[in-house]
Amino acid sequence: MKTKKDTIINNSKNEYQEFLFGPAHPGSGNFSVKIKLGGEKVVLAKSDPGYLHRGFEKLMEYRNIWQNAALSDRICVFEPLAWNLLFAEAIEKLAEIDIPEKAKYVRVILIELSRIQSHLIWFGAFSSASGFDTGFKIALGYRDYILDIFSIITGGRVYPTGFICPGGLRRDLPAKIEDKILKVLDKVNEAIFYFEKEDPVFKSRTENIGVLKIDDAIRLGATGQVLRASGFLQDIRKDDPYEIYKKIDFNIPVLKQGDAYSRFKLGILEVKESIKIIKQLLDKIPNGDFLNKNIKIGMPFILPKNEAYVRNETARGEGAIYIKGDGTINPYRVKIKGPSFLHLIPVLEFLLKEAEIADIPIIYWSLNGCPADMDR
Amino acid sequence: MEGLISKIKSKFGAEILKKEKNQIWMKINNKDLINICNFLKENGFDFFSCLSAIDILENNIIELVYHLWSQEKKTILNIKTEISREKPEINSISKIYTASQIHEREIHELFGVNFLGNSDLSELFLEDWSGPAPFLKDFDWREYVREKFYNKENENEKGYYN
Repeated sequence: MKTKKDTIINNSKNEYQEFLFGPAHPGSGNFSVKIKLGGEKVVLAKSDPGYLHRGFEKLMEYRNIWQNAALSDRICVFEPLAWNLLFAEAIEKLAEIDIPEKAKYVRVILIELSRIQSHLIWFGAFSSASGFDTGFKIALGYRDYILDIFSIITGGRVYPTGFICPGGLRRDLPAKIEDKILKVLDKVNEAIFYFEKEDPVFKSRTENIGVLKIDDAIRLGATGQVLRASGFLQDIRKDDPYEIYKKIDFNIPVLKQGDAYSRFKLGILEVKESIKIIKQLLDKIPNGDFLNKNIKIGMPFILPKNEAYVRNETARGEGAIYIKGDGTINPYRVKIKGPSFLHLIPVLEFLLKEAEIADIPIIYWSLNGCPADMDR
Repeated sequence: MEGLISKIKSKFGAEILKKEKNQIWMKINNKDLINICNFLKENGFDFFSCLSAIDILENNIIELVYHLWSQEKKTILNIKTEISREKPEINSISKIYTASQIHEREIHELFGVNFLGNSDLSELFLEDWSGPAPFLKDFDWREYVREKFYNKENENEKGYYN
């Protein structure tokens, strides 16, 4: 029987070809990688970001916090709520605003739902990249149940338009939403049931592909599930808890292999933990205010001469915002660090070296990258 | 953690600006950056989290903030340093923290800071950009776009000049 190694065309004549993976490739998103091939092996890969560079950091210097809260949605298309929360936390830390207990609970529930739907898009895209088209349809179909919940709570299916705002939340929770969320969680469990099934084809396409060793992961700046799939336990929700994560009982799944398959498996385990977190919180949401009483939404808010740095565990890894105020209503400087900035540039370039041409989409999607949060 | 901070203070003359929950802000001389980073990496700060640059026009400086994370000490260290705006140059720490290479490349493109010793400072987001560093405070993008892309004589584009 021919092994996989025998079927690869080797580059005996030392001839090289160059081509682009993306930006118009359906498997890449708005992002491209310049690839140099020798035979069927990648000799050199260079990420070429910038197709979604909208200059948010500069735009935010011209806008007040309410405009920026709505703008912060667009940093990452796959999980706008996570960036909503990060921006709100940055302003709260900068101006020392307290938020009511109820807002903290609702924020965590929304963020975990957002993590689940973000992982579902990822499962879908990953399945599609590995030739398993049914997976794409299952994932995006079930994701829509969560979007319905977002639509009821925030008013927007994908973009909440600054629902999580500095000082708390824009609106109160609608009545009896807890039951609806529980029903949606049952639906998510159904989706997980499909993705948990061992598919021999999917497994053979992803196992031992794109192996990232723990030392390389740390060195190249990997965070989130890319780092945890390589065997390093790190989660900002546990290490540097924000909101009410300190009070919640949940585990951080870690896998050792560091290949594309284990990154995918870890995603499934993370969704299960998120379901656990939401179920714990649903019947404990306290009554009371959802917004700090001193905050008036839409009114100009003067930012103090101060600076703050906040980090959160987004679905893709470590997201962070540095903000500096100068005593005016607009921030003086905002720096946004998206997790994909490191995953899609240094980590991807490293993993693609020596990879086979057919494995490029698998490696790319196993990193759960988002070109939007990389380019900003 | 306290012992480490006092060591940095006595060894490199760092100034502690503020202490928050799990975060310490300090200010250092830009000449000590490499030594401090080497010292911190040996003492548990093995994660490079982020690099921020702030253009401060009134003092004629560019401020750089290096955010380092220690998994062992569960602490973020924000190290601030200043470089002059006229000659924005600083030693690269990419040999100590590999992850900082890409951050430095971004800051080089958007703020025009030259990181000495960085292996690759080629263009990242911008393509064929010939203008000044776009994230500097004195770069007026509205003015730049008007001059570069619009025509005052054109009836349809007159509105941009009001």
